[in-house]
Amino acid sequence: MKELLTQEKSIYIQIKEKIENDILRDIIMEEEKVPSTNELARIYTINPATAAKGINLLVDEGILYKKRGIGMFVTDGAKQMIVSKRKKAFYDTYIRSLLQEAEGLGITKREVIAMIEEGHEGGK
Amino acid sequence: MEGLMCRNIVKRYGKKTVLDQVDLTLEHGKIYGLIGRNGAGKTTLLSVLTAQNPASEGQVSCDGLPVWENPEALEKICFSRELNPMNGMSANAMKAKEYLKIASIYFPHWDQALADRLVRLFGLDVKKRICKLSKGMMSMVTIIVAMASKAEFTLLDEPVAGLDVVAREQFYQVLLEEFQNTGRTFLISTHIIEEAANIFEEVIMIDKGRIILKENTEDLLEHCVCISGKDDVVDAAAAGLETHHPERIGRGKTVMVRLKEGQSLDASADVDVRGVTLQQVFVALCGEEEHV
Repeated sequence: MKELLTQEKSIYIQIKEKIENDILRDIIMEEEKVPSTNELARIYTINPATAAKGINLLVDEGILYKKRGIGMFVTDGAKQMIVSKRKKAFYDTYIRSLLQEAEGLGITKREVIAMIEEGHEGGK
Repeated sequence: MEGLMCRNIVKRYGKKTVLDQVDLTLEHGKIYGLIGRNGAGKTTLLSVLTAQNPASEGQVSCDGLPVWENPEALEKICFSRELNPMNGMSANAMKAKEYLKIASIYFPHWDQALADRLVRLFGLDVKKRICKLSKGMMSMVTIIVAMASKAEFTLLDEPVAGLDVVAREQFYQVLLEEFQNTGRTFLISTHIIEEAANIFEEVIMIDKGRIILKENTEDLLEHCVCISGKDDVVDAAAAGLETHHPERIGRGKTVMVRLKEGQSLDASADVDVRGVTLQQVFVALCGEEEHV
């Protein structure tokens, strides 16, 4: 079975990944406050319950933590956590579908490796 | 019994049954979306829920109180009807500000400051008569009444009909802001499904007078997928699952599958799987006879 297309991810997953991306790009720094559920709901025009679901996933993973009565903050070391999490997911997210497509087209492993080494010149 | 609820609602006009055995509960603190085709019974359902129209059978209650001719229950409810210049309503000859004035007297929790703010936000000319307003401006009036009513249960019938995209965006923002500030319950019917889908915590679909679905929007979209591939492979992958809207092209087939709790697709099947939008789910569930 092929992977789900990325543009069709659930909204709360997209909210979660958007915050992760902001942390990776230093738009939100560690120990800084992230936008509240209500702010996210307004920025993206989504139900606050959906925004909260995305935030809660990040809390469960330890990337955000709650300061009572103040809001959600980025954990110290969160950036590294996101990098290592995404490195682990890299095979499933990118390589697996790449190899599947290559197999369907009859491209050998050697050819795939050659393409990667050639970079973008090897074809799209 | 908390919430606005109806049990076994039947509504007949002559021989025609418009609502058929409808059970529905609206909980406190949620935004609901109501979608259905033209003539599915949306407006009738909203008017029965708010005691503007008597049901032929069944009961409606609000936080345990019957709503019919009951001021104590009705003060918690607002149904801001669609204004329509063609239906000969007495509102037509009124100026918009007179209509808002009447609403301010009718709704006991009326927020005049909010009404004034929304008039300015939408740039509505309140000196105009209702019948002289454009379709979009009429929608603005109904939105202002709904928001400023401050009713615990606020039902809006196609509030974005005729609004331009900027005004629609303003409406969604006003709705979210009001929801966040008060936790009021909103039920919104709309045909512009996709742009409102992410606002609805739950979606209710009505078809031919029956509620065919009421579910958390995110859960629904996670459980619905389109699978496509060679027809026999698709049939095998979808065997035993709830399927809708099959389409064949040559040897290929596409079908929407709605997975129930605990069901999953066979991961080894050679089929393409993609997510669906709320609009696609709606078409699959309510538009099936179009594909005969």
